[in-house]
Amino acid sequence: MGSSYDEVKNALDVPSEFVFIILLPMLAFPLILYLGMKFNGQKFWKENLKEGGLVALPVMAASLVLSLVLIRRFINETSVSDTSTVFSWANFAWFTEGATTEISLYSLNFGLYVDHVTVMLLFVASFLCLLINIFSIGYMNTDEVNDNKNHRFYAEFVLFCSGMLGMVLSDSFLWLFIFWELMGLCSYLLIGFYYDKPSAAYAAKKAFLTTRVGDVFLVIGLAMLWNLFQPYASGGDALAFATVFDHSNLQMLADAGKQGALQLALGFMFIGAVGKSAQFPLHVWLPDAMEGPTPVSALIHAATMVNAGLYLVARMFPIFGDSAMMGEFSDLAFIIALVGGITACMAALIAFVQMDLKKVLAYSTMSQLAYIFTGLGAALWLANSLDWGEYPNKGIVVVAFGAALFHLFNHAMAKGMLFMASGSVIHEMHHAHHDLHHHHHDDDHHDDHGDDHHDDHFDAQSMANMGGLASRLPITATAMFVGSASIIGIPLIGGFWSKEGIIANTWRVAVEHDPRFYIPAFLVLITAGMTGFYMSRMWFMTFAGKPKTEVAEKVHEQTPWIPIPLLVLIPMSLAGIVFASLKSTYFLGYKGYKLGEDGLLEGFLYEMDHIFVNPGTNYLLVLTYIAIFLSMVLGPCAAMALHGGRLDEGQKAKPWMQWAVTLSGKLNDKYSFAGWAEKMSESSFGEALRQRLYFDKYYDMAMMKIVAGFSNLSASFDKNVVDGFAIKTIIEKGGQDSSRIIRSITTGSARDYIMMVAVGTLAIAILLWGVN
Amino acid sequence: MTQRLVEAFDANFFSLFTAEVTLFIGLILLILIPNLGKGTFRLPGTQARIPWFLGGQRYEWNANPRLPSLIALLIMVSATIQMGMRVFSENDAILVHATGDASVRILSANPFSNLMEFFFFLALTLVILASINRLDVKNPKDKSISTLYNNRRQADFYILILTCALGMSVVALAENLFVLFVGLELASFSTYILVAFNKESKAGSESGMKYFIVGSAASGVGLYGLSLLYLWSGSLQIDILAEAWAGIGQETLPYVALGLVLVGFGFKISAAPFHFAAPDAYAGAPSTISGLLATASKAMGMIGIIKILLVITQPEALEGSAIWLWTIALLSVITMFWGNLAALGSDNPKRMLAYSSVAHAGYMLAAITAAGLWNISGDVSAQDDAIQASRTVLAAILFHLGVLIAFKLGAFLVLSVLEMESDVKSSDAIAGLAKRSPMLAVAMFIFMLSLAGVPPLSGFLSKLLVLLGIIKVAIANSASSSFLGMDVHWVWGLALAMGVNSAISVYYYLRVGVVMFFHEPVESRQGPLPRGSMIRISIAICVILTVGLGVAGEFLLDVCRSAADYLMPMMRGL
Repeated sequence: MGSSYDEVKNALDVPSEFVFIILLPMLAFPLILYLGMKFNGQKFWKENLKEGGLVALPVMAASLVLSLVLIRRFINETSVSDTSTVFSWANFAWFTEGATTEISLYSLNFGLYVDHVTVMLLFVASFLCLLINIFSIGYMNTDEVNDNKNHRFYAEFVLFCSGMLGMVLSDSFLWLFIFWELMGLCSYLLIGFYYDKPSAAYAAKKAFLTTRVGDVFLVIGLAMLWNLFQPYASGGDALAFATVFDHSNLQMLADAGKQGALQLALGFMFIGAVGKSAQFPLHVWLPDAMEGPTPVSALIHAATMVNAGLYLVARMFPIFGDSAMMGEFSDLAFIIALVGGITACMAALIAFVQMDLKKVLAYSTMSQLAYIFTGLGAALWLANSLDWGEYPNKGIVVVAFGAALFHLFNHAMAKGMLFMASGSVIHEMHHAHHDLHHHHHDDDHHDDHGDDHHDDHFDAQSMANMGGLASRLPITATAMFVGSASIIGIPLIGGFWSKEGIIANTWRVAVEHDPRFYIPAFLVLITAGMTGFYMSRMWFMTFAGKPKTEVAEKVHEQTPWIPIPLLVLIPMSLAGIVFASLKSTYFLGYKGYKLGEDGLLEGFLYEMDHIFVNPGTNYLLVLTYIAIFLSMVLGPCAAMALHGGRLDEGQKAKPWMQWAVTLSGKLNDKYSFAGWAEKMSESSFGEALRQRLYFDKYYDMAMMKIVAGFSNLSASFDKNVVDGFAIKTIIEKGGQDSSRIIRSITTGSARDYIMMVAVGTLAIAILLWGVN
Repeated sequence: MTQRLVEAFDANFFSLFTAEVTLFIGLILLILIPNLGKGTFRLPGTQARIPWFLGGQRYEWNANPRLPSLIALLIMVSATIQMGMRVFSENDAILVHATGDASVRILSANPFSNLMEFFFFLALTLVILASINRLDVKNPKDKSISTLYNNRRQADFYILILTCALGMSVVALAENLFVLFVGLELASFSTYILVAFNKESKAGSESGMKYFIVGSAASGVGLYGLSLLYLWSGSLQIDILAEAWAGIGQETLPYVALGLVLVGFGFKISAAPFHFAAPDAYAGAPSTISGLLATASKAMGMIGIIKILLVITQPEALEGSAIWLWTIALLSVITMFWGNLAALGSDNPKRMLAYSSVAHAGYMLAAITAAGLWNISGDVSAQDDAIQASRTVLAAILFHLGVLIAFKLGAFLVLSVLEMESDVKSSDAIAGLAKRSPMLAVAMFIFMLSLAGVPPLSGFLSKLLVLLGIIKVAIANSASSSFLGMDVHWVWGLALAMGVNSAISVYYYLRVGVVMFFHEPVESRQGPLPRGSMIRISIAICVILTVGLGVAGEFLLDVCRSAADYLMPMMRGL
């Protein structure tokens, strides 16, 4: 007999003041916009308030504090209770007229919903939003291009944050979708922050439209879901989690034979997630979205918004895990894992040849998100197909689900840091380039800074212009080093714990249950090695070797604010083992099952034992070491051989990086594979990778040929028939004409008015008389 | 709910009507205080002059021309607070009867009247607040005649407003149609003068005159109807009339009387075709007063309509529906179309708002129609639903009257700010407002959206409630006609008309936004807007109410429901 979700639910009330987590940033949006419009150009606004940056900062800090209080409350409540699933809500009814009578068309509730998934994402979102806010003050405000525009940035920034926090906390798929779209809007605005630059405007449009494709499916999925649950939602919101996750509702659906429809609905919703999280085949927008300012990339395209899709899929967990649906959704779970596997491998491949620092990170994001999808797919498969009643099963499911979510956490921390560090590199490159220019043409170069960006062709983001920065940007290089290690999965550091978990669980499903899973399982295993290669390549190209340009020689860390978030985040990645232990202690509870590690030490021992010594079965142990070998030895060594090199004479990196630089120099001397690498790069495969496997090309072609043709047709219909004839002639002219006639009766003479009163009186008399 | 009987003007009487008594005292103070001075009185036949403190040179402390406005504000705020406390705490009904005869009812303070009075006082408070800037005092050091004149008449303005408040509260309290009529005229006469208050302006005095003439004609017709009613039943007391109506036979007199009375009140709520003077009056009057006409004054007319149509003639319920059903239905449809179509082409924002107010009267009449329909099939089991539906409709009307104060008055107040620089005669006045004052433009746009009924603003909620109330009635009543093979009640038609009209209205409401945000300011209106913190405070209150009551209007809706509950048994003659 399986257990059901609602048996173990333990509803507690969340005090409604926690809604301020969402409301504060939302209210800050108009405030910053208004202040910016009012005080732009004034000194105190620019210097003391950083054009809104320091207005946003306390707001985000307050949000974080409130979130932490909420999380703490949640942990306290859950650790004392045996059942470790708590879901709870504070409800705000908008208006409930009619709820008691037969027409209950209009009741709209908003509530907060807190469970383990929420807690994890809430922390990630509010924590990173704050750090990125700090980073932005350093990054945005020191660039003259942004002068008098920053209030727009910060306003959109806080609105985005409120969207993300709202999505995480909302208690219904409906509100989730509303905040989801709010994020989509802000993402559009922020990518297109430099909207006067055509490439940025194009990238914003592309991101918006591509995610829109997914969103259409999401809406369809939600409509289907609504349709399915509407009969069981007694007057309330049929998309509320409380309704959708309810075992008796799901049982009734199952009894009615609606499992297939439900799977279809969830599948459509998954396509929405694919779009939002930039997975194959809707991944094309993410690399282009790097046109936005770097804080935006860190915020939206690494740490928060792209996780929305994962969150949506993770939210489906209770449905997959309900005993009423046992074994029904294994196809969907497989598809989720497969999409993840394909994207992981493909994105890693494309990342091999990218020269743009941020684009490498963008593809790496896609690849890592894909890992999480694979992990979720495996976890959902296990949740859906295993009988919860039997002893080890609960543990297996919970650990698998936890691994996927934990990777989300690790990736967000590491990738947020990596993007900020890349921002730091780019920013300092700009500065160095700027200074250099001014020294060279002191007299004849008085153009404003903005033109520098566009006119000359120095690309501050290209790794071909960098090299040897390890000694010049020590904090940044360290951050990149640690972040890359976390993404690669160097043992004991952040991402290692979760990535091993994902690989192991995918393999577990493949070996023990469903052979179809061998495909994603192989893909993610290979990708582990590829990740090792491309992340190392990025680091060594940027930081090791000799500076490749004059500019790179002049770089040094000088911008205030920027190192703060890096210094905060470095330990967050390094302390992966602490979080892993914490996870085992507090967060790995779901569906009434708790791992039962009572303290940090037990959690630590459990994790160490589970990964390195005894993961249950032997093949998993072998796998672990294969993965470690691939990601830690093979990938990085290849990268070092190809792209490594010693620093300039007299330059020395910090000791914790120096060894890597030295090693890379040695490897590079010995095996540089120069001819082979050239050949590979010139081959058609290399070209295809540089062209991003031609996805963009063919999508564009499809767009231009089919969609644009259809668009033009409907545009001309709209212009000529709807606007031209229907609106102009019938509605507008007709309306204005009738208005004129009617108003012409209003002559302005009191005599006529009294006459009309008389007419009216007569009319009423006749009407009343007529009825009698 | 308990009823308490009180004799008029006995000891208890004054303690029960503190808000109204405050108003009355305030009125006396407003007349007296500005007139206190060093005036003396010569004893006839002697040279002795006795000071009698009226007239002559004013004292230092009451020479300030701002004094009347402050007194009026104080009085009005305190009356509003008292009334607010009554609305949210008191649930009893107090029945005032004539001295010595408990069967002669004069006034009744009940949840319904309390709520209406609260609305009136709130609107008038906002008007006073705004008028402090709109009709600003001029520097008293300037000895020119126009300054003197302007400052002297400050007192007049606020006296008229307080008189208006007193008249309105009498209308809300009246248990007798004659008392109601007296209150109505008291308030109306004040508004006639207020419309023409700016008598230097040709448009102002002309529109005031027209409004007065047409209003008098309509009042005359209404009064004639009342006298016929009296002739028929021998009393104008509402419960007696209702009782008499319940036992009506095949007679002509009461129906004629009803029709004539409707004309009188139809003018007050500016229903077509009695609305003609309204756009002229709104356009000519100071905008604060136009706002008053469009909200409180209209609510006052609505009270008359509700009392006559729902309380008096409803229980008769000829074959389950009121006699006036078709008449009011037709009137409502004509009114909404007329208002909206006329507003569509109006360039002057004040006229546009006036016509929109006509359209709103149409919506409310449609709702009244729905409330007047119940249980056509004679099926007893459906009666509960029908009663529920009528209650919803009634509550929706009251809610609408309340939130209308927030956004309709608010819109007029924004125009008042513009009027302070020069008259608002066309959409040029609001052109480019967003560039001159973004906050005001945003406020105006919120009001427009609320008028158009965009969620989550209160205008959306009230329109939705009215619409759903009508649909509820249509569902609760079994079908009487067949349309395209579906059995539908013709009341659906009203909902449809309302929907179509809402669509039409969106056009001209949003055009205000276009003009404000996308047009350039005209040459004569380039500089910064006139200052005035009071008027901005009142606009801010309106914005807060517009948004707040839309998002969290449940509490007001509850009060409206209990007010409707009070009227329900009377409607049903239970």
